[in-house]
Amino acid sequence: MKKILQTSCLSLCILGLVLSLGIVANAQTPAPAAPAAAAPAAAPLPAADSELKDAAGKAPSTADLAKGDPGGTLTGTISDVPAADSKAGVTLPDVGNQVGQNKIAVNFVWTLITGFLVMFMQAGFAMVESGLCRVKNANHTYMMNFFVYTCGLFAYWILGFAIQMGGAAGNGNLGGLQPLASEHAVTLFGKTWGLFGQTGYFLSGHTYDVGVMVIFLFEMVFMDTALTIVTGACAERWKFATFAVSSVIMGAITYPIYGNWAWGAGWLSQLGSNLGLGKGYCDFAGSGVVHAVGGMTALAVSLIIGARIGKFNRDGSSNPILGHDISAVLIGCFILAFGWFGFNPGSTLGASAAGNLRIGTIAVDTMLAGCTGTLGAILYMWAFKGKPDASMSGNGLLAGLVAITAPSGFVSSFGAAVIGLVAGLLVCVSCAFVENFMKVDDPVGAISVHGTNGLWGVLSIGLFADGTSNYGGAWNGVTGSVTGLFYGGGASQLAAQLVGISTLMGFVFTLSFVINLGLEFFMGQRVSVETELAGLDLPEMGQLGYPEFVFRPEPVYSGD
Amino acid sequence: MAANKQQGSYFGLFLAGATVLCAGFAFYDSGTGKALLAIGALGVIGSMFGYLGIKPLEGKTALKDNPLGMKLIGAAVCLLGWLLTLAGLHITDSTGGRIVFALLGIGVSFVGMAFILPAAFNKHAVWKGESGAGERTGIATGKPSMEQLR
Repeated sequence: MKKILQTSCLSLCILGLVLSLGIVANAQTPAPAAPAAAAPAAAPLPAADSELKDAAGKAPSTADLAKGDPGGTLTGTISDVPAADSKAGVTLPDVGNQVGQNKIAVNFVWTLITGFLVMFMQAGFAMVESGLCRVKNANHTYMMNFFVYTCGLFAYWILGFAIQMGGAAGNGNLGGLQPLASEHAVTLFGKTWGLFGQTGYFLSGHTYDVGVMVIFLFEMVFMDTALTIVTGACAERWKFATFAVSSVIMGAITYPIYGNWAWGAGWLSQLGSNLGLGKGYCDFAGSGVVHAVGGMTALAVSLIIGARIGKFNRDGSSNPILGHDISAVLIGCFILAFGWFGFNPGSTLGASAAGNLRIGTIAVDTMLAGCTGTLGAILYMWAFKGKPDASMSGNGLLAGLVAITAPSGFVSSFGAAVIGLVAGLLVCVSCAFVENFMKVDDPVGAISVHGTNGLWGVLSIGLFADGTSNYGGAWNGVTGSVTGLFYGGGASQLAAQLVGISTLMGFVFTLSFVINLGLEFFMGQRVSVETELAGLDLPEMGQLGYPEFVFRPEPVYSGD
Repeated sequence: MAANKQQGSYFGLFLAGATVLCAGFAFYDSGTGKALLAIGALGVIGSMFGYLGIKPLEGKTALKDNPLGMKLIGAAVCLLGWLLTLAGLHITDSTGGRIVFALLGIGVSFVGMAFILPAAFNKHAVWKGESGAGERTGIATGKPSMEQLR
């Protein structure tokens, strides 16, 4: 326990240090002068100008600064504000431009650093998934987690980003993102509904823009998280070539379509403005967009690919197939929990203005839901199975984090704790349902962790959103704060969330299923029996994950 | 046959085709864009047929043929649930009515994904041991085999 606390504290310290360094370093770097065209047209007030000149006169001289500034009281003054006209000195418009640029700079740095944290989650996923697989498949599982980053990034660059964010202009936190202003929409029943974006292919043309690059990086790492969920559910039997093609298609089409509908000015986000359903479909950081999309696709491919040899008996009962490295699993879970501080607080897309000071609440909500998720899973397993199962404890932590991802920006710490606790219990029940009732083999529990709890997270906004968040006074273009059923907001937000859930289960699942059924026809999803029994490391990757391990003899498979 | 050179080559063709295809989307308004679209589509389709050609060489899998019709019905039921939810948005203006339609849609989709599709894919599952394969390997005996213990 002490070790866990120490690790958590250390993670938080590192996070705080990195963020502080990033923001302070940025704030102390003199920004280049804004172009003259961007300067406000209003004439500077003479009185203010004289005060500015007075302040400039009192600023520390070069000689003062040359002596060093150990206390930090001399560095960062009006001398660091660039003047458009050096003869006139610093004017009020200069100061205004610098303030505006500092706001955007803080938000850029915040969004980029949190994006870097999310990118690091790939390492956590790799460790969790590989640790839960057998040693003979370790290299293959690690390689899927490694290569999915490449496949996803490439697919998102050539097509996915344009579909998802091509019409997402208007975010003031990142400077407006005006180059992304082309959403293909249809008019139905007198209302306009966004379907997909149309600009940003290859980040070329007008999308060669500083703000667009920031949002691309941030959205790309989210997309990659969704892709890597599928590799866990299909581990130990997925043909590498088919996995690669499937991941490219998911990164280019499946994920971006739903991402557009929820985050890129698509029709789900317009349910509030068009039909009066709450503030439209809300998904703050992606329980639905990222995790449920990944979970639904994982279920679709798992159904097609079938159970691992030996998972089920003739009577339908299942056998446990133990992973090879529980330490990798639990360390991977900690890495994921650390990365989640990028996932949720980073989804404000800024730390300055528009209600973004709520980032502390979001981070605490994230921690608490992970905590109660772990508690829920441990208590369930201990009470009903007799042991505080390690792998299910890890899944409980992840389930809590998945569930709080969507509501993290809208709920109190109490709501977060309840959402996490329910998620921890739900993941245990769902794993049993998927394995024992549906007879679907999911080696790492990805369908339950990300699919089931992604849906629960989406639903929970309609129940627990407390109406205190205020991100610029509106959400999805509807004035006011997101408020759920339990906090006096009525059922309209819940209705919007249910439409989102239905879309995930009905549209996203079916699309993923049809695409992967097509790949099954052309390529085949599953490795041969010989490969599966020998382990995928040598036949598929050409190298064992752990070459010095001694293999025990394999049973003979003689199926026709 | 496991991973091999042909697979790698066809994946390269797939990526190249997809890239050219997307360039076609990006410049669709121009004649060049349309040409790129056609070339890219040919590349992607070519890679798929390449994969189809080498598929029989890649060995027998632990999967048996299951009824395709039932799989498609399962997928259609999932989609139907979503369409039901969408229809509800138009049929009624009341929040309660829309919630009822959404719940109905979710229920229908759930039936498709949790009942019909698993039944379709497990109808002739290898683990059911129709050929006795499971019994001979010790997999279907209920006792953990070497494979399961690893």
